[in-house]
Amino acid sequence: MITLVEAPQSSEPPATRTRTRERSAAWKRRAPLLPALLFTIAVTQVPFLVTVFYSFQSWNMVRPGSQHFVGFDNYVDVFTDSVFLQALGNTVTLTVVCVFVAMLLGLGLALLLDRKFLGRGIVRTLLITPFLILPAAGALLWKTTMFDPSYGLLNWAFGIEVEWLSDYPLAAVMAQIVWQWTPFMMLLILAGLQAQSREVLEAAQVDGAGRWRTFVSITLPQLSRYLQLAVLLGAIYIVNSFDAIYLMTQGGPGTASTNLPYYIYQRAFEGFDVGQSSAMGVVVVAMTLIVATFALRLMFRAFDVSRGVK
Amino acid sequence: MAQVAYAGASRVYPGAHSVRAVDGLDLCIGDGEFLVLVGPSGSGKSTALRMAAGLEDVDEGSISIGDRDVTHLPPKDRDIAMVFQSYALYPHMSVRENMAFSLKLRGMAKSEVNAKVEEAAELLDLTKYLDRKPKALSGGQRQRVAMGRAIVREPSVFLMDEPLSNLDAKLRVETRANIAALQRRLGTTTIYVTHDQVEAMTMGDRVAVLRDGVLQQCASPRELYDTPRNVFVAGFIGSPAMNQLTLPVDGDGVKLGELKVQLPVRVEPGEVTVGIRPESLSLVGEAEDGFDLRVELVEELGADAYVHGTLAGRADKVVVRADGRTPPRLGEAVRVALRDTGEVHVFDPESGLRIGAE
Ligand SMILES: Nc1ncnc2c1ncn2[C@@H]1O[C@H](COP(=O)(O)OP(=O)(O)OP(=O)(O)O)[C@@H](O)[C@H]1O
Ligand SMILES: [Mg+2]
Repeated sequence: MITLVEAPQSSEPPATRTRTRERSAAWKRRAPLLPALLFTIAVTQVPFLVTVFYSFQSWNMVRPGSQHFVGFDNYVDVFTDSVFLQALGNTVTLTVVCVFVAMLLGLGLALLLDRKFLGRGIVRTLLITPFLILPAAGALLWKTTMFDPSYGLLNWAFGIEVEWLSDYPLAAVMAQIVWQWTPFMMLLILAGLQAQSREVLEAAQVDGAGRWRTFVSITLPQLSRYLQLAVLLGAIYIVNSFDAIYLMTQGGPGTASTNLPYYIYQRAFEGFDVGQSSAMGVVVVAMTLIVATFALRLMFRAFDVSRGVK
Repeated sequence: MAQVAYAGASRVYPGAHSVRAVDGLDLCIGDGEFLVLVGPSGSGKSTALRMAAGLEDVDEGSISIGDRDVTHLPPKDRDIAMVFQSYALYPHMSVRENMAFSLKLRGMAKSEVNAKVEEAAELLDLTKYLDRKPKALSGGQRQRVAMGRAIVREPSVFLMDEPLSNLDAKLRVETRANIAALQRRLGTTTIYVTHDQVEAMTMGDRVAVLRDGVLQQCASPRELYDTPRNVFVAGFIGSPAMNQLTLPVDGDGVKLGELKVQLPVRVEPGEVTVGIRPESLSLVGEAEDGFDLRVELVEELGADAYVHGTLAGRADKVVVRADGRTPPRLGEAVRVALRDTGEVHVFDPESGLRIGAE
């Protein structure tokens, strides 16, 4: 990319004067945005700083007056806490599997929707609905109508008696999340498919490529941006999953389906351990930042590759 | 190399009002021939071409390439190469990969693929750009890549759909000549779609004129110009368009203002449509034989000027070619003479067909 705009550089007094004037004009333009900015800082950055502060304190709300500074003790505890590590593992599994499966399903459905058939509009709307249902409602729906051992649809359909939520807790939660996020992936990928030039696909056909070959050599590479975007957005949301776990398994049995947000919630609001949960929160934010920056950088590089040569 | 034959081929788009985009097309393109399909927008040129490519169904009739009936074969089994109006280059592939794609699909050895691609690049002056992506090329270069992608395959038929319409006027003239020369050199049967009649007249061995999906005439450019089969072809070929006037028959001729025009063919009493090209008319002095014209518009093109006017005493518009150095002024009355009565085309006013054809 080329940067054409350069700050005016001159040390002469008149130029300085115009610059100050320009700057004040710029601030005037920004002024209407300030309330929103202040609000954002107040509700995100301030709590974060407070959390960082708490993370260096030993403070359990059950024992008033116990609050005192402990340095990095909380962080040491966090990394030696086997439940935290398990929750971390669960979070990674949950995120990777859900994003991957939802994307594959979304890709499949998008490919099917990308062709003409009778009632396509209706089918598309129906396929989108899981995404429009409140996450909490979706979780309850899966917990009761699908997974319930005595009257759940799954057991009825297969004629079996499985305690889905206690035998396969993580898988059950993942099923719900995949169900919820597949439409999102599908919509993004469908947009990508429909942005393809029809003539390019026809050119591939004339060049001798069959369906599969066209898909692999032409469609997929052109879709890669959309897939990356889908992965990034999906991962950001799914890492934070809470509703499904809270409502379906309560992180159980034991800690089998506990993920980080849920574990932090437990430590803070069931264990009332403000210091420990704050430390965990800070660790999670730090890790998310690292992963997201890494992913974002990768993604922007991909964007640049296709834009830079215009 | 092969010939292409449409036999009563039709494409009917279904719907409440089904559209016969191509209607019973009978056309045979000889081996090595350069055939140009022309017609106004929406006349079914692209559809006819895409039928030959296999990108559009053939609802009636059949199409054969060489001695194979390809009516229901998929595009990849037809041994054709197509150049699209938008070029349809693969955006994520370099120029080299674009050209090599079809060869790789055929399982050709890598060294052989490279040799062929480089040969084609040489021919089209693309060697410098082989490792660029299409986005980093100018329109003319992209057009050449599209051509290159077609020629590396050495297909038996080239199909081109308005390949020059995205180029500027100068580049179009240049590329037009290049494509024609390339085709002569390769000797590959070519169907070329355009709505530009200059392209049609200069490039084609034969030109097929389509209108609403129906073939009007297919002949050499000269023949099309000299003996158009009907008023549509007469009006479509030639620029500016032929003057067409429907006049009552007066003995063995018609009266154009004061000018009695002897018709080159025998006509029944009644009315006829006469067609006279602007270049068959000329401005003459007051005293000479001719008819009077009131000048309404003068188009000066440098060498020539086209004088648009109305026939004195009638509403008919007439265009006359005049010398570019001494054009008449607006509102002036000028005298127009006919160069040669043999250049008058006569059509039946009802059917629009040429009278005295064959
Ligand atoms: N999918 C379709 N459904 C119905 N009618 C169609 C469809 N595609 C094309 N047509 C009609 O078929 C006719 C021929 O279209 P075609 O694209 O072949 O025209 P063309 O001669 O190539 O025109 P242009 O010079 O503008 O490219 C047009 O009248 C068009 O409206
Ligand atoms: Mg067209």
